[in-house]
Amino acid sequence: MDATNAVIQATHQTAEAVAHAAEGSGQGITHMMMLLVIQLAVIIIVAKIGGYLAQRFLKMPSVLGELISGMIIGPYALGAKIILPDFGPLFVEHAGFAASAELYGIATLASIILLFLAGLETDLAAFLRYSVVGSVVGLGGLLTAFIIGDLTAVLWPGNGIESFMDPVALFLGVISVATSVGITARILAEKRKMASPEGVTILAGAVFDDVFGIVALAIVMGMAKVSLGGGEVNWGEIGIIAAKAIGFFVVVTALGLIFARKITSAIKQFKSKEIMVSICFGLAMLLAGLAEMAGLAMIIGAYIMGLALSRTDLAHEIEENLEGVYNILVPIFFCVMGMMVDFSAMKPVLAFGAVYSLLAIFAKVLGCGIPAWAMRFNVRGSLRIGLGMLPRGEVALIVAGIGLAAGIIDQGIFGIAIMMTVITTILAPPLLVKSFEGGSGLRKEIAGGFENTESIDLEFPSRDITEFLLNRFVRALRNEEFYVNRLHTEQLTYQVRKDDIMFVLIEDDHILRINTPIEHQQLVRLMLTEELLSLSDLLEATQKMEDLQSMGSGLLAGMFS
Amino acid sequence: MNLKKVLSKDSILPDLKAETKNAVIEELVDFLAQNGSIGDPAAALQAVMNREAKMSTGMQNGIAIPHGKTDTVNQLLVAIATKKGGVDFDAMDGQPCNIFILTLSPEHRAGPHIQFLAEISKLLGNVHLREKLVAAGSADEILNLLTA
Repeated sequence: MDATNAVIQATHQTAEAVAHAAEGSGQGITHMMMLLVIQLAVIIIVAKIGGYLAQRFLKMPSVLGELISGMIIGPYALGAKIILPDFGPLFVEHAGFAASAELYGIATLASIILLFLAGLETDLAAFLRYSVVGSVVGLGGLLTAFIIGDLTAVLWPGNGIESFMDPVALFLGVISVATSVGITARILAEKRKMASPEGVTILAGAVFDDVFGIVALAIVMGMAKVSLGGGEVNWGEIGIIAAKAIGFFVVVTALGLIFARKITSAIKQFKSKEIMVSICFGLAMLLAGLAEMAGLAMIIGAYIMGLALSRTDLAHEIEENLEGVYNILVPIFFCVMGMMVDFSAMKPVLAFGAVYSLLAIFAKVLGCGIPAWAMRFNVRGSLRIGLGMLPRGEVALIVAGIGLAAGIIDQGIFGIAIMMTVITTILAPPLLVKSFEGGSGLRKEIAGGFENTESIDLEFPSRDITEFLLNRFVRALRNEEFYVNRLHTEQLTYQVRKDDIMFVLIEDDHILRINTPIEHQQLVRLMLTEELLSLSDLLEATQKMEDLQSMGSGLLAGMFS
Repeated sequence: MNLKKVLSKDSILPDLKAETKNAVIEELVDFLAQNGSIGDPAAALQAVMNREAKMSTGMQNGIAIPHGKTDTVNQLLVAIATKKGGVDFDAMDGQPCNIFILTLSPEHRAGPHIQFLAEISKLLGNVHLREKLVAAGSADEILNLLTA
């Protein structure tokens, strides 16, 4: 009790001290927090509704709606016009920055969660297994997008960027790198093309794209920091910075992977899942801070921690337990990014933005398409892969936000980055759907054997039963040491992988649908049969239960006595 | 999946003696129990029989894959057997079975158990391999055919 009292007293004293300090600086901390809470309330509600509308009516990812909601309520639009009594406008610019430090702090936390989960969802086994196809397609897209993005900035007349190594040019390069494959995955699932050669290649390429994109960001951050400090970046230095960034990534990831099981088994001593998950998240934040300290970006550390934990049995628990926090915080991040778009700052660079966006499209289509074509796809298949890798999203926004916060890019360039993200995200779905019309995407000489995918449909009398069996099937797959990854699509969709096996489970109302390459259909059929049999076991067991009616009447019997 | 890791000469039984479905399963479980890796052979046998009672594992083209989950084993145990004349195994195509793959796997431990069955089923899709397996006279010969 004494200890509790002491803690309460100490907390109280601290709060008072902080409050005094804040009052001393001219603004009451309670007032500051009140404004923050009201801002967050508006952001969460508006972002969530915006996300819903985008998903429901435009069939677009919710990110888009969240971003646009931010643009509407930001200080450069409605935000400045909503006046709170005694407080002034709801959102105002703070020293050229659309968000207050407190609000930006919360957005930063959201970006850490986002990248931590992205790392957790990365399938390292597939990374190694598909290394040839994935790395060639991923790396092709990355290099082309980076070089074209950077060169557009350099070659565009009148924007004052003259060197390829200019930090702004480097940022425009790196922003156009990261593919956001979520929307592509949704379309592949809808068109039943996830297990097709193009689908597998896109998803494998996206894993590489993520990892390489993070490394590229690390290098660019290092170079930008040197240039900003007034130093001249020469090729020798770039080599050192690149080696440092790649070294940090490889060494920390390797250490993480080696010790992940030891760390998790130590954490498991706590027995409580809630504590385990929280500690893992704490570690992600710690590594994020350390990465920033090492001259990289926080999201890099968060991503590496996720990657390290992705191969432990806690990965699934962490994903599940952080989902609630993710759903609330991440829309705040995108909304705040939208708020930062200053339309008046964008006007002079609008033409540049349009060209940059257009070239960002060509860069991915060619950069991913040509390597795909060189490997085993025909023009149609290569185009599908290029278009699948087209949409940019979360990571591009985060990188742009980092650039703006660090003062490397200005609000005009930031606006262009957002514009490119929005344009590529909107254009990708219709183009991708159109490209999947027509025949095989493989070249004739290879088509036999690869193209054959099979769709196994099981229809059940109700959606509940479909879902129940799907869950059991997923559990059985995990027991068989498969990596089962839930995709963020409207229909419940899981991607199942292990070594060179890859198939997709989709819950389509009453139907459980499995898309699998023909060579793996034996496995799917055998496992499904076992689960169906266990379902019949369960049904038998319920029949042995006491008659349900008498159970019910037993429950209600005492109610009115 | 590397079949060599799971299969060895000691897991192969060419030309079974049994003449009925139940006898085949018993002979296979006994064979696996010989080296002492099954804690309770009777319970293991029961697990396979229970699974068989729900739905026969006699497939097509002479292949049967009886299997069971039981915690009387610590890891995946596999026995592969052939029978020249074949045995009626309630197969889907009504034909007698002449290639048998029995697996026992722990109930509460994760591992690629079904994947092993799937892998070997894929192999057995090849009619020439099936013919060679049934004709093979020794465990070594069968092992070579499956892991070559």
